Amino acid sequence: MIAAWYAIVSFMLIVYVALDGRNFGAGMLHWVVARTPEERRQVIAAIGPLWSWHEVWLVGFGGTLVAVFPRLLASAFAGYYLALFLILWCLILRGISIEVGGHINDRQWQGFWDFVFVVSNFLLAILFGAAAGNLVRGVPLDADGNFSMAFFTDFKPRGNVGLLDWYTVSMAIFTTVILAAHGATYLTLKTEGPVHGRSARWAKFLWAAAVPLFVVASIESWQVHPDLFRHAMHNPFCCLGLLIIFGSILGLASGLSRQREMLAFIGSNVLLVGLLVTGAAALFPVTLYSTLAPENSLTAYDVAASHSALVFASIWWPVGLALAITYFVFITRRYVGKVSINRDTQGFY
Amino acid sequence: MNSYLSNPAIWSRFQFGFTITYHYLFPQLTMGLAWFLVYWKWRALRTGDEQYNKAVRFWAKIFGLNFAVGVVTGMPMEFQFGTNWASFTRYAGGVIGQTLAMEGMFAFFLESAFVGALIWGEKRLGPRYHFLAALGVALGSWISGFFILVTNAFMQHPLGYRVEAHGALGIASPRDYLLNPWALVQFSHNQMAALVTGSFVVTAVGAFYTLRGLHRNQAQLYLRTGILVGLVASVLVAAPTGDQQAKMVGRHQPVTLAAMEGRFEGGSNAGVAMIGQPNVAARRLDNPIEFPGALSFLAYGNFGSYVHGLNEYPTNSWPDNVELLYYSFHVMITLGTIFIGLMAFANFQNWRGRLVSNTWLLWALMLAFPFPYLANTLGWMTAELGRQPWLIYGIFQTRDGYSKVVSNGDTIFTLIGFVFLYFVLGLLFLFLVGREIGHGPEGEVVTDARQLPEEITPELPEVIATQREEHFV
Repeated sequence: MIAAWYAIVSFMLIVYVALDGRNFGAGMLHWVVARTPEERRQVIAAIGPLWSWHEVWLVGFGGTLVAVFPRLLASAFAGYYLALFLILWCLILRGISIEVGGHINDRQWQGFWDFVFVVSNFLLAILFGAAAGNLVRGVPLDADGNFSMAFFTDFKPRGNVGLLDWYTVSMAIFTTVILAAHGATYLTLKTEGPVHGRSARWAKFLWAAAVPLFVVASIESWQVHPDLFRHAMHNPFCCLGLLIIFGSILGLASGLSRQREMLAFIGSNVLLVGLLVTGAAALFPVTLYSTLAPENSLTAYDVAASHSALVFASIWWPVGLALAITYFVFITRRYVGKVSINRDTQGFY
Repeated sequence: MNSYLSNPAIWSRFQFGFTITYHYLFPQLTMGLAWFLVYWKWRALRTGDEQYNKAVRFWAKIFGLNFAVGVVTGMPMEFQFGTNWASFTRYAGGVIGQTLAMEGMFAFFLESAFVGALIWGEKRLGPRYHFLAALGVALGSWISGFFILVTNAFMQHPLGYRVEAHGALGIASPRDYLLNPWALVQFSHNQMAALVTGSFVVTAVGAFYTLRGLHRNQAQLYLRTGILVGLVASVLVAAPTGDQQAKMVGRHQPVTLAAMEGRFEGGSNAGVAMIGQPNVAARRLDNPIEFPGALSFLAYGNFGSYVHGLNEYPTNSWPDNVELLYYSFHVMITLGTIFIGLMAFANFQNWRGRLVSNTWLLWALMLAFPFPYLANTLGWMTAELGRQPWLIYGIFQTRDGYSKVVSNGDTIFTLIGFVFLYFVLGLLFLFLVGREIGHGPEGEVVTDARQLPEEITPELPEVIATQREEHFV
């Protein structure tokens, strides 16, 4: 039961990353793939109607975490206090920049909100990347399951660590590149004209850059957390994750080289899923490693809510998921195809 | 260093109180306005009258701005359960997390999947799907309200739980938890209050245009729909829902009811103070003017019933700010009464055919729209201050709930950040909404001759309207 809930909660986070990752990526590339005000409206139109639908997966993930792993949320969120509020403020600015930019047809106004949009998406990608690095590396959990962490200490990933060290920074770079590549692949699918051409070139370049970074990130993770790899060998889900990764790379590469945009985008999504499934499976059952002492680590079994709470959640969650899939089908069917700035705008001007 | 302000719980309370009060300014309008959009979209489908589509297009823009600010200011609420209230989450997460998660799965997914379609997608979707989008958004926003109120009701009047391993709470009866009578009463009361806000805003815009002689047909549509819904909702917010809510408080939180009314002495035949200033130091209500027996009747259904006074309870079980609670409650009640009177009079004048010609009334309707926001906020302050000193009434105290590892400095820093960010956000919001109202419903030209020089030919007003826009930009 607890293992199943670990999988469900991971699933919700993975869906969030795949969905909102495209918005982070599109946002980071906003300035370089779109040069004129019209082209920039095209990028906004590609993510505009759906960003809040993507963002609520994070809310759904957070709520489910409170319900089934309350002690994990309590330890992690209090420990990451300042970093989380930075993420929140970036999410606020990102959402606002998408919504209000289109309200006034004015170059200075839109230029300002484009700036906010780009910067907040960059910071979000970096912060989420550093957060992923923190999960693999661990945090200074004490015997009571609490920690409180500075932004950085001595930049070494052992002992009394900070949010940023050489390992989490390099994970942040890797994540930023991957998400930018994901966004470029999405924009290739959704746009036409010059934006399409530039996005396609960026997608190829960034995915190519991601390959050596992936190798570096894997070696670093092995250095920082050798147990994780030994542990992963015994988990069949890790092998499944690796299979997904290899399959999706084939799809992505073939899609990119043969201009099959939908195939490339699906490959890109599945690749993110594969990476995160492998990571989540390698960590299980630990949810939060302690860099101070292994016995302080919090496993899913330590942080789970009571049995009755898990049973109740098992009843309503599948219903909620079925509904979410229905909306997903509706949205996918309604929003299929390229965006057009004459049709897919808020109609404000 | 033992002052009240060095207490860590107080900063987390300030931050949560500030962020949630600010956040709730936006959902209260969207929950009310959503049903106006559904109604007009439905009328447009049925009658084919473009008038209704124009109204939807106009209000969807204002709805969209509210919704966006509501979404982004709502995210911090859920996060703060972990960041600032970690001890509370450890203790009660297995229970309250259920409804927080259900809100995400059942309400937010529905709402956010369709809100983009409602605001961005009229051309892409066509009229039928556009109506469905409006309906999905309205339902989603109310379902979201329901789950939040179930969560709050558990904190006010915990039901359906049991204490399990690690001393944390688990679910004993999902049914008792989800169908908590407190939640049902509070939900009806709160949703009616949201409709009051929505209808007052719609009415105010209609009155504003009418006074300026702009967008005549649209203005009358807003006015007539607004005052009708406004009257019905204002009445329902008082009775039965508000009345039931007060009875619920009297039954389960008698000390809270005593504080809300500023009653220190218990007694039968208790009155409701129309005017009076609570004097906590002297333990009395100064200069009271009371309706004798009214409180006994309202709380227990009998003029002679005994109503408890604060003196019967130890001071450490009193809500920790009696004065704030008293004024929140009393100002809310007074405003609610004025709302009924104003809307009843507006409907009466409309029935006599004198609504649009009554300048005084239109001014009053235009200026009235901020007051439901105040009343809603004070209502929530009554509920939340009245719950103190408990975080979960009777079983878990607020002072035990905050995150032990988060320092005062961290919370003060993020509170400053929120105050500044939300201030800027508020300016931006007001600027954009003001601008949309200035533009008016799409495609209408200036109809008031007084606004234009007389020699202008009929084609010109549109040109002038666009010139004005450009000037404004």
